[in-house]
Amino acid sequence: MAETLLKIEGLKTYFFTEAGIVKAVDNVSFDVRKGESLGLVGESGSGKTVTALSVLRIVPKPGKIVEGKIEFKGEDLLEKNETEMQAMRGREIAIIFQDPSSSLNPIFNVETQLRDVLLAHEKISKEECRKKIIDLMNLVGIPEAEIRMREFPHQFSGGMKQRVAIARALALQPTLLFADEPTTSLDVTIQAQVLDLLEELKKKLGMSLVMITHDMGIIAKMTTRVVVMYAGNVCEIAKTEDLYEHPRHPYTALLLAAVPRLDRKKKLRIIPGNIPNLIEPPSGCRFHPRCEYATGKCAEEPPVLEEVEPEHFVACYEWKNISLKGENH
Amino acid sequence: MTPMNPENNKPNAGYKRRSASQWAVAWRRFRRNKAGVAGLIIVLAVVFVGIFGDALAPYPAFPNPKALTPFYNGDVRTPPSSKYLLGTDVLGTDVLSDILHGTKYALYVGVVVTAITMAIAIVVGSIAGYFGSWIDNVLMRLTEVFLVFPSLLFILIFVRVFTLGAGAGASFNFLGISIPIGLTIVIFVLAVFNWPGDARMIRGEFMRIRELEFIEAEKALGASNRRIIFRHILPNILSSIIVVASLTIAYAILLEAGVSFLGFGDVNTMTWGQILENNFSDMRIVWWAEVFPGLAILITVFGFNLLGDGLSDALNPRLRD
Repeated sequence: MAETLLKIEGLKTYFFTEAGIVKAVDNVSFDVRKGESLGLVGESGSGKTVTALSVLRIVPKPGKIVEGKIEFKGEDLLEKNETEMQAMRGREIAIIFQDPSSSLNPIFNVETQLRDVLLAHEKISKEECRKKIIDLMNLVGIPEAEIRMREFPHQFSGGMKQRVAIARALALQPTLLFADEPTTSLDVTIQAQVLDLLEELKKKLGMSLVMITHDMGIIAKMTTRVVVMYAGNVCEIAKTEDLYEHPRHPYTALLLAAVPRLDRKKKLRIIPGNIPNLIEPPSGCRFHPRCEYATGKCAEEPPVLEEVEPEHFVACYEWKNISLKGENH
Repeated sequence: MTPMNPENNKPNAGYKRRSASQWAVAWRRFRRNKAGVAGLIIVLAVVFVGIFGDALAPYPAFPNPKALTPFYNGDVRTPPSSKYLLGTDVLGTDVLSDILHGTKYALYVGVVVTAITMAIAIVVGSIAGYFGSWIDNVLMRLTEVFLVFPSLLFILIFVRVFTLGAGAGASFNFLGISIPIGLTIVIFVLAVFNWPGDARMIRGEFMRIRELEFIEAEKALGASNRRIIFRHILPNILSSIIVVASLTIAYAILLEAGVSFLGFGDVNTMTWGQILENNFSDMRIVWWAEVFPGLAILITVFGFNLLGDGLSDALNPRLRD
């Protein structure tokens, strides 16, 4: 088993809004290993992005990390001060956001944006910096780097913009990269290109990649291990193959059944209901109001993750009593 | 799209990619706006007169406008003629010369009031807008204090008290230019009461930009607060600041003229408002000494306003409707 790079333990990130406390991430624990591709999957609002922002400690107001431990390379990130965190961001841990058209500053050209990142963390000469920028743009596959680096974000297509965003995130060769739905706002044809690029770069640079998505297809293609989140909780952690073959959590099974497949004429399953209100989440297991297997116990106490087989954890009381269909059934 | 040469798949030789920076785009848009261009021409003309007005004026500047003896050969209240193109006023000074000499004061007032106003507004607005919470609360309450002051009354009192303290006609040297102290005090007082509105605007802009995703992205890349404020947010609202600044210049010139006209300006500096004030009592006779300085104010203020509107259309095209 590879070394652990990031270990999140009992993370609670709450948003203190006027309507009440939104428990966006509530008692989340998982780890990311060196060099692996981990999938973080769940519906919108399940706390995937907030988890990533918590690791970087850039949770927007009125959000706050209330409790927990985020160990990165053996150091607790929550104990670091703001200056120390600034040095970590971009350099050790970086993130790519969903929408490249809004994650780039519209008034600076690409060269300036990349130079800013390079110069923020290290002192290098002008020529060296220029060379690095061109290298980076070549790395992410932007043709005519020398001409295009003088252009502004609005002159790039969506896919190219995301490449710029990736180049910027990779400028300092971070050891951990969060990709927060990096392809959701892109055309399908571009999606595959960007995913291939991420995979290739991950191998080339030897970093760990956390793929945040709600797309089970991307998870299957990109990751070796998956963390399934629901309403701020982790419900299942497993190797990707394992998860697709033998999902143990009813929610995971429903997620898999909601993926359209061409090779089988099958009605798409819809997960009934909506993600719960996180100000007053359901008692016990947060999924129980939408779960067809729920029993009385599910409403009382939240289940904890238990290891049902090596490397496969599930937070469900009923996992022994139910048999769920995986992707191929 | 770049015109490509089909043979080598490179951009055609001699093709120059049009610059597409925000400023180049804005300039192209500005040039198409006739009113804005007219404003720019008026402003440039006023600046020209401001710089060379002393040399262009047919008569020298009046040393002490409150001196009671007629200055120009006893030609008091002469109607416009070939000798005095715009006539002479109650003090016997040539109105055209007064207007030309006064242009530099109008610009001095406009530019310096705006510079001070914007400096305070940017500092207060950015800090309040960026940090929010209690800092925002404290600064906004402070802003409101200045906003609810009956500012005109305070301007009148301060200008009177301070100009009397400085002594009549006192001036100081700045880069070889003699600048009247009284007028400078007027400027400072005007600026101190003028910044709250602009500070609120800048605060609002900061709050808007702060929430955009690229700020989050910059944070995720390790940018400090200082870097985000100066490097990422301020340049993004620079266009709004420029628009407001050009409108503030117009407003400041108008305000100073008003204060002087009411008799609370610097009586030792012949600003346009001061000419109006001096001749007000004899207005029915020397209409030319009221109408022409008034026109000078009108044209200048109009020019800066047109320029501001033109800039606004060019820099913030989305705000047009």
